[in-house]
Amino acid sequence: MKTSVSRRLVLGTVTALALTFGLNQSASAAETASDFVRRLGGQLVTIVNSDASADQKREKLFPVLEEGVDIDSIGQYCLGRYWRTATPEQKAQYLKLFHQIIVNAVSEKLGDYRGVSFTIGGTTQDGPDQVVDAVLHRPQQPDANTQWLISTASGSPKVVDLKGEGASLRLTQRGDYSSYIQRNGGKVDALITALQHQIDRHGAPKSE
Amino acid sequence: MLERAGIGRSLPVKTACPAAGLKRRGKIDVATETLTGMGSVTDDQQIAFLPGSSACQSAPRRNRRYGAARFSTLVLSALTLAGCASMVSPKPKDPDALAEYEEANDKYEPLNRKMYNLSVWVDKYSMRPVAKAYVWAVPRPVRSSLGNMVRTMNEPVVFFNDVGAGKPRRAGDSFARWCINMTVGIGGFIDVAKYAGYPHHDNDGGLTLATWGIPSGPYLFLPMMGPSSIRDGIGYGIDQGLSPWNYVPRGYGLITFNWAYNIMGTINTRADHLDDLDQVQRDALDPYATIRSAYQQQRKAVADSIRNDHRATVPDWYN
Repeated sequence: MKTSVSRRLVLGTVTALALTFGLNQSASAAETASDFVRRLGGQLVTIVNSDASADQKREKLFPVLEEGVDIDSIGQYCLGRYWRTATPEQKAQYLKLFHQIIVNAVSEKLGDYRGVSFTIGGTTQDGPDQVVDAVLHRPQQPDANTQWLISTASGSPKVVDLKGEGASLRLTQRGDYSSYIQRNGGKVDALITALQHQIDRHGAPKSE
Repeated sequence: MLERAGIGRSLPVKTACPAAGLKRRGKIDVATETLTGMGSVTDDQQIAFLPGSSACQSAPRRNRRYGAARFSTLVLSALTLAGCASMVSPKPKDPDALAEYEEANDKYEPLNRKMYNLSVWVDKYSMRPVAKAYVWAVPRPVRSSLGNMVRTMNEPVVFFNDVGAGKPRRAGDSFARWCINMTVGIGGFIDVAKYAGYPHHDNDGGLTLATWGIPSGPYLFLPMMGPSSIRDGIGYGIDQGLSPWNYVPRGYGLITFNWAYNIMGTINTRADHLDDLDQVQRDALDPYATIRSAYQQQRKAVADSIRNDHRATVPDWYN
């Protein structure tokens, strides 16, 4: 009798612990994605809303984006079918430029704003990734609905895509790059040169 | 094409026929159409100004004229078709390239690119400077009110499309928006409905057809009108039929309002996209491909959101 009670107790405890642990784990995984977006978004907003100059903001954005965004995986996605045909040197050179492009794009999109804030919505599962809804509030502009695709494939949660009003940024970017390479004789080098020009131009003072 | 954008429009000339036998010099345009961001107007009232026009022209001349018109239409159609045949981009054989081709969904890419380049060029010297001047001259609250007005005036089209899509709750929302904004919102200038729990939602003929399961068909870039598709183009035509403003009877001052509304709507819509379009032109390596991709994704997302709107027909407070 005593044995059976203790066995029941032990089994029950183990099951309860397993359940609790399991539930906790799934709950924390779901929380992690939205917490992660909240943390990353918070960091971005702090930089954007600060009084720093555009260049200073860009410098501050760089480590935050490097840590929170899986730029390599996005870069690979954006090159599409040309990733396979590119040489290792081309890949390395392309990714190096792509990192700068991302930072430039983010700082340009957000840099001019002050008083930006955001609200985190629900989280949904999309295959292995998680999608976190967030509404971006910008002063004197309509609110923008965004969806952040978070992947934990690299071990820690990282942003792999951002959707604004239904359009995926990485898919749109891939359309841009593929089309450009295709119209330049399928040469990845053409894209690399164009990206380099784009970065040089971004560094130069604006003509307008 | 230019006529669609309201450029190069031939305005009706109300000339009275001076005497029989004299050549009539007034231009008889049966239907001219103007484009707006929100809708367009087809005013075929000009022909009503011509009560004596048939008396002014002899029958053979008229027949010859109609014959010539028919012939030129035929020639134009043949030319367009011949042009289109060489405007189809060939299907690639490589599986990867084929997958990309299918994803772009742009069978008429060479033609579309021509239309895109033309539109960008015309826009650069017409709508863009006008929109910039408008933003410079008109304060933001006024622009926002005018934007609200244009949106409210389009609400009937949204309503009919909501009904067509079989979404009664959405139809109710747009109906409520129309009633509230036209009264409390002073003719649509203030979006009161938004604060009353009826935020704006998009719908148009193309999206309604999409909810019926009709595929988009190849992507199209319509000159001066922007990105579209076969289905969305047809939807645009349906919307013109659904817009009550196209049935406004002449002679009530409403025509003037209609023109003002359409021109204002076009400028306002262009002004809303000044920064976006400038950014695409500046940052994209191939702005055409970027716009194509973004447009098709957005249309799909909006169609999905309409399809997945399963809210109960009556609002919660009713139960």
